[in-house]
Amino acid sequence: MAKTILIVDDSESIREVVSFTLEHEGYNVLVAVDGKDALKFLDGQKIDLIITDLHMPVLDGIGLIKEVRALPDYLRIPILFLTTESQAAKKMEAKEAGATGWIIKPFVPAKLIEAINKVLR
Amino acid sequence: MDNFRKKFIEEATEHIQDLEQALLELEHSPTNKPLIERVFRAMHSLKGSGAMFGFEKVSEFTHHLETIYDLVRNDEMAINAELLNLTLKSVDHLSLLLNEENEPPETLLEKHTSLLSQIEEYISANKESSVIQFEAKDKKKSEKQLQTYFILFQPYEDIMKNGTNPLFLIDELHTLGTCIATPIYYKIPQPEEFDPDKCYTSWQIYLATDVDINSITDVFIFVEDECVLEVNQIHESNLLENQEFINSINEIQKNQKELTVTEIKDIVTGLSQPEEKEQIKTNGEEKVVTVAVKEQTISSIRVSSDKLDQLMNLVSEMVTTQARLSLYAEQDGRPELLNIAENVQKLSRQLRDNAFSIVLIPIENMLTRFQRLVRDLSKDLKKDVVFEAEGTDTELDKTIIENLTDPLMHILRNSLDHGIELPDIRSKMGKPRQGKILLKAFYSGANVIIQVFDDGAGIDTSFIRTKAITKGLISPDAQLSKREILDLVFIPGFSTASKVTDVSGRGVGMDVVKRKIADIRGEVELESEVGIGTTLTIKLPLTLSIIDGLLVKIDEIHYVIPLSVIDKIYAVEHRKLMKSFNNMTILDGEQVPFFYLRSEFSLPESTAEYEEIIVVRYEDKSVGIAVDTVVGEYQAVLKPLGKHYKKQEIISGATILGDGTIALVLDTNKAIKQFANQTLIKEEVQ
Repeated sequence: MAKTILIVDDSESIREVVSFTLEHEGYNVLVAVDGKDALKFLDGQKIDLIITDLHMPVLDGIGLIKEVRALPDYLRIPILFLTTESQAAKKMEAKEAGATGWIIKPFVPAKLIEAINKVLR
Repeated sequence: MDNFRKKFIEEATEHIQDLEQALLELEHSPTNKPLIERVFRAMHSLKGSGAMFGFEKVSEFTHHLETIYDLVRNDEMAINAELLNLTLKSVDHLSLLLNEENEPPETLLEKHTSLLSQIEEYISANKESSVIQFEAKDKKKSEKQLQTYFILFQPYEDIMKNGTNPLFLIDELHTLGTCIATPIYYKIPQPEEFDPDKCYTSWQIYLATDVDINSITDVFIFVEDECVLEVNQIHESNLLENQEFINSINEIQKNQKELTVTEIKDIVTGLSQPEEKEQIKTNGEEKVVTVAVKEQTISSIRVSSDKLDQLMNLVSEMVTTQARLSLYAEQDGRPELLNIAENVQKLSRQLRDNAFSIVLIPIENMLTRFQRLVRDLSKDLKKDVVFEAEGTDTELDKTIIENLTDPLMHILRNSLDHGIELPDIRSKMGKPRQGKILLKAFYSGANVIIQVFDDGAGIDTSFIRTKAITKGLISPDAQLSKREILDLVFIPGFSTASKVTDVSGRGVGMDVVKRKIADIRGEVELESEVGIGTTLTIKLPLTLSIIDGLLVKIDEIHYVIPLSVIDKIYAVEHRKLMKSFNNMTILDGEQVPFFYLRSEFSLPESTAEYEEIIVVRYEDKSVGIAVDTVVGEYQAVLKPLGKHYKKQEIISGATILGDGTIALVLDTNKAIKQFANQTLIKEEVQ
């Protein structure tokens, strides 16, 4: 069964480029525009990976990660976050919140797949 | 990727607009934190996605701007006029960069470099040591021979807490080359103490690969703080092909013995020459930028305008087909069919209204450009002008908005240049030093009215009159109302500026404004009081593609006359029309000039006893148009005429009737103007 990946980003272009790449790789893709929107999907349905932006309106990436880690169904789900540059503190903050890894923007599709392969098989 | 680029450009354009808007607001409240955040965020987004979609220049550029506003955000630098000017200039440059599909032209690059150095200077002048170099990441993969590495990977017990599966990392190592991974699991506790959420296993891994040591540590990048990781090169060849080596490590690992690097090296020494060891450390990282939560919520989706045009087209087609269905149902007469036809009519009307409302956008979208124009221009002209807008949520067809921006810019330029006086003159006249331009938009029936007021000098009618006479536009003894005199400024070749400035006297006169507005079926009107100000009123249709019209028939041809211009319809005896003197007839006790369309269209006189006169508004007069019969009200979906009909102005388009025949849409204003001229010529000839 194909793995399902939830993409959370307020930028439509990023959502599109990520979902295009992932769909091409054979993943099921769900998209949400911010953290709050993303939580709607986390209602017990099978999601194998969350890829989230950090800076978003309403509920940002860190907030989302914390919320996800508080949901029993998604305690151990891998979460990757998108970040613009290598910012140690932001990375640490996200990791402490429970993120699995990160993807540095800008990325090429291959990098995206590479990061996903680290956390999802 | 091109699609994504397009989307990015759309998005970036919005960011730039938002940026510009925020910067303009920032000018009035330079310490407003949320505004600074907004500026920063827009820059941040531009930078982030810019590089991703191949706009390195945009990304590089915004990076520097972001640096400045990061300092501003952290109260290490203050907003001032110089900075705002520089930023606004940069924002303009950014939109230019975005429009360059390929490598930007030389001139743009020069500007790029000069602006960049200005920004850099600004940063270093205002804050030492704050320049963060924009690093271009290019990892050079040097061609290397196969090497053998020994990797010790000891995850902390909690590594799985964040959703990491260590096995995937081992899997990934296997993709790098030949790999032997031995799990060390003696730490696994007894079943009663075992916690499935914890990781008790560590790994000893031998990897023969041609990638460099960084690529190996990269595998573990997500977990570098959650494990002990040692990567050591043990040999400059593929030891895993060496049976002797394999045998000895297998022997040792049977006993679950944890090998140290030295021990391994000893083994290797036993086989061949040892190699020096390399220890990998994780690097410290840089400065952090925290980004605040965006305050806007997403309440709309973006749809490409192509899709909207397509939708509109389909809806138009459907309205046409529906008209056909109604007609057929009526002829057929079966009640069920009539019922269905009626329902379809209702639905398609709703669908049409709905589709139209989709392509309507609020005029707010144009405002930033206007604010910017007023700001920059008033500065250049050393005038103090405030720009205000009312009714900014008034919506118009996007095509209309697109075509309206340029004329409005010109009107504003005129107001700024010729209307508003210099502050000193204003105070001498007892006016406030600060001039005011007000843009007001509101609905009026099926029209939208946009007015631009300024409280400037107003237009001197006697001056216009004199000028029109010297230019030979009117004869010296012409009797003109004030309104007619003001309308003279819309005549091609008339320009009120006594000297040509680079602001409004650029050869583009009010005639162009009028023509451009007429292109979108709008009308312009000017009112002015000397010393008090000028009001320019633009009347626009809500939409361009469907008009409510009156279907009429002349000979066997159908015409549609827009309802918006029609005042009244009269049935008149044919005899009376023919007898009328000077094309005047009496309707409701008033003399009304009229045109007999049959003769204007060179058709024979009608033989019917009665014909109908439709009284339409022409400028501020009433003019009658005589047709054979009025068929009824009709919603016309406008279709352009072919290019062969470009030269004539009387027919503005065509529409397909329910029975498949074509009706021509009459532009009464232009028709009457043309008929009147022809009549004049005829009279002169006689």
